[in-house]
Amino acid sequence: MAICTVHTTPSLSMPNTHLNQRQVIFFTSARKNQFFRGQNRAFTVSCSADAKTVVIGLAADSGCGKSTFMRRLTSVFGGAAEPPKGGNPDSNTLISDTTTVICLDDYHSLDRTGRKEKGVTALDPKANDFDLMYEQVKALKEGKAVDKPIYNHVTGLLDPPEVIQPPKILVIEGLHPMFDERVRDLLDFSIYLDISNEVKFAWKIQRDMAERGHSLESIKASIEARKPDFDAFIDPQKKYADAVIEVLPTQLIPGDNEGKVLRVRLIQKEGLKHFSPVYLFDEGSTISWIPCGRKLTCSYPGIKFTYGPETYFSNEVSVLEMDGQFDRLDELIYVESHLSNLSSKFYGEVTQQMLKHSDFPGSNNGTGLFQTIIGLKIRDLYEQIVAERAAATAQAAKV
Amino acid sequence: MAASLSSMTTLSAPRPVRLLNISNPYSSPSHVRLLPCTASRYTRLVVRSTPSEIANKVSESIKNAEETCADDPKAGECVAAWDEVEELSAAASHARDKNKGKDPLEEYCKDNPETDECRTYED
Repeated sequence: MAICTVHTTPSLSMPNTHLNQRQVIFFTSARKNQFFRGQNRAFTVSCSADAKTVVIGLAADSGCGKSTFMRRLTSVFGGAAEPPKGGNPDSNTLISDTTTVICLDDYHSLDRTGRKEKGVTALDPKANDFDLMYEQVKALKEGKAVDKPIYNHVTGLLDPPEVIQPPKILVIEGLHPMFDERVRDLLDFSIYLDISNEVKFAWKIQRDMAERGHSLESIKASIEARKPDFDAFIDPQKKYADAVIEVLPTQLIPGDNEGKVLRVRLIQKEGLKHFSPVYLFDEGSTISWIPCGRKLTCSYPGIKFTYGPETYFSNEVSVLEMDGQFDRLDELIYVESHLSNLSSKFYGEVTQQMLKHSDFPGSNNGTGLFQTIIGLKIRDLYEQIVAERAAATAQAAKV
Repeated sequence: MAASLSSMTTLSAPRPVRLLNISNPYSSPSHVRLLPCTASRYTRLVVRSTPSEIANKVSESIKNAEETCADDPKAGECVAAWDEVEELSAAASHARDKNKGKDPLEEYCKDNPETDECRTYED
């Protein structure tokens, strides 16, 4: 993507000091410019090749809501994200007008048979090609197209590569976006979805119980078997994330183990350049807020918010927490009107986005709310970065 | 109406027929299909079914994992087998979600926009 400006150059023979950028010079013939008394007018279109892609990383275990998050995120930017047209139907990539989402499973170095032979899971770094991941993300960030391999989840094989054009916003989602240090440095913003064990179990039951062959024992065995690798390789990434969405069982219902009502914490890193954390009432103070009362009636178990500064893996963070669920539209709009620093473009934007996708899982609790808010924050981050680069280019052009 | 939609595995709850989708105040469909069969989204209860190919794979992989782990639950092969089960279950879930959105009428109209059922009227 390039930002281009058109301006007239008085004469082509005059030395242009900013010709280090790629420029296109249109030279119109004298006949067309009779009005200019035969003077040859030249128009220079200069494009800065520096407008690089913004890269976002999203890490989570399988079955933890990455796809839902992706759909919400691409919806905030506008346009529906779809698999590349005319390509492999089992492609994991999603492309919309502004965003391209790449699934990091495509960088598996071992396919399913290979992993079975070696006895490693997909969570193990040995099964992934981090060099290729780094190379390709770097190339896309610099504005070059790449040939990305495709990992077919149905067959478990590595399919022939597909061409990915550099987008305005590149999202890499998977198990290891922040594992490799080089890839981590390329990320402009990173998110980790931290689902607690009880909630993960409840979600996987919901997902798999209808599946023929699955039983409670098999689901449990599957989670237990993957846990050592998960704790060793995936979980440590959360200390590098700029935002962590932590999902825990509710504290409002004593002894609840259904996992329907959730307590969700949005842990936001402080001191980042383009990211200002969402807060409640007063930034930096500790607040506990139950919106249900005289102005708002909620049904059981209600909603409870907390906000405050904390330390997370020796980083300064601000944590916004929501426990409970939304039952009605006015609860949502009431809550939105009391949150600050949402980076929304108009009053009610968060509510509108939530309503747009009311059939997505998590639309009535903190998971959907915080995912939507993070989506708006990423949009704000993107716009800040683009404005910064445009200002830098304008500065360079003036010189 | 029921006959033409009998191929869909959906149950629509009895509700007065609406021509306009006004359930979501923020969506603005500028054109409507005047076919009353397309009732609003929220009245449909969809029975989600996994495509049989993936469903078979899932059940096979579970059997395989249980066999492999019968010998040694801590071995690499056992762990890899359960990981495969997880991967296939995720793929099955995604396939179900993809199929959930498919509306037979919309699919038909994509290919045959000139037929009577597919005429659209701009507001």
